[in-house]
Amino acid sequence: MERPEMNCQELREHYELYALGIAEERERGEIRAHLDRGCEVCMAGVKRSLEMTAYIGAAAPPAQPSPKLRRRILASVGRQERHPLGWTFALAAALLVLAVYFAINSRQSAREAAGLRDQIRLQTSEVARLTEAFAILSGSRTTEVSFGGAQPRPPQGKVFLNPNRGVLLIASNLPRTPVDKIYEMWIIPKGAKPVAAGLFQSQDDGSAMHVQPGMVDLASTAAVAVTVENQAGSDQPTTTPLIVAALKSATP
Amino acid sequence: MLPLLMAVYAAADESALIARLQRRDPQALAELYDRYGKLAYSLVLRVVRDNAIAEDLVQETFLRVWNRVHSVDPDKGSVGPWLLAIARNRAIDYLRSSAGRERRAVEFDEIDHAPLYREMEAEILVSDQARRVKVAMDKLAPNYRAVMELAYFEGLSQTEMAAKMGQPLGTIKTWVRTALQSLRDDLGVAVS
Repeated sequence: MERPEMNCQELREHYELYALGIAEERERGEIRAHLDRGCEVCMAGVKRSLEMTAYIGAAAPPAQPSPKLRRRILASVGRQERHPLGWTFALAAALLVLAVYFAINSRQSAREAAGLRDQIRLQTSEVARLTEAFAILSGSRTTEVSFGGAQPRPPQGKVFLNPNRGVLLIASNLPRTPVDKIYEMWIIPKGAKPVAAGLFQSQDDGSAMHVQPGMVDLASTAAVAVTVENQAGSDQPTTTPLIVAALKSATP
Repeated sequence: MLPLLMAVYAAADESALIARLQRRDPQALAELYDRYGKLAYSLVLRVVRDNAIAEDLVQETFLRVWNRVHSVDPDKGSVGPWLLAIARNRAIDYLRSSAGRERRAVEFDEIDHAPLYREMEAEILVSDQARRVKVAMDKLAPNYRAVMELAYFEGLSQTEMAAKMGQPLGTIKTWVRTALQSLRDDLGVAVS
């Protein structure tokens, strides 16, 4: 014989068991039947019970899922996320690589930096020298003197003298000086001792350009000469001049 | 006044979140995870006691929400309690199948239907509700708390609890009824 259906009043104490999923078969079937036919009383009772029991889970000891879980879930719906600390890790790794690189290469870098500084200094000096040379070459009062034309393989070139700018020597076919020697230019006044006008070395191809800035009294200057001297230079020429550019042939 | 404003704000926020989930906005799923991920994971881990399995089940839970969120009314639905019910049911389902037990006579699926979670408290109040339930659970006497945990975290029927605890079924039913009554009293829940 079938048992009569249960009414809402009889079912009310089973709502929570139903919400927990542990109601007995009969009561579960009765509640489901009430819900299926839209019983508002049972619907409200079950909702309240679900609301209460849903949060029993909060009694579980708190646990922290791995950060990967979030990425896994989002990836499964087609969203790719970078690691939350991805940029930080990448930056840290890059900085570490750079730090190691610079640590390993610090000495070399220091040497390179010093080399670059020397190179810049030299280039700055060269620019200044070329500027002075250009000023002498372009000066309206510059006098030009050629030298070396008569020798078999002589140093050849020109000397440019500007009374306000100084003396510019441009030479070729200069022999390589001994290791401890250097070329020294002289300005030789008429009837007076030569005046030292700077030290220079030739290039590997035997060419040279030397500038001695400053004022020059062309009227009292007899010649410009070059000798080979010790590295420190000399107060007076100690060897026979390799170059002598006499101003008597000067072209004003 | 402030709690009321917060509740209104939270309800609107929850509705907007549901609407965005229904529009297949992955960022909405990210926000849902940020709200409930840790709670769901803690719950599932308590049931299955294995980190990797718990993560798999939580992932299944969020995908289930993602795939079934169209059945939630954005204006009245409450996604949090629904999500936790799914998480719990997935976990107990796993526990039973891995233990070789038959799926229980109670079909858990029937209590994780979204429409049953209409018009529940919005997210911010849900957090408060979770805290209150935890406090109420902590106040239960050990035997009452034990039956509630066996029911909730292990999905045992009262008959199974009686066998497990070595107590008469009538005693277990009394303990369950008393525990539920105590929770109801503490939480101010009316039965009807």
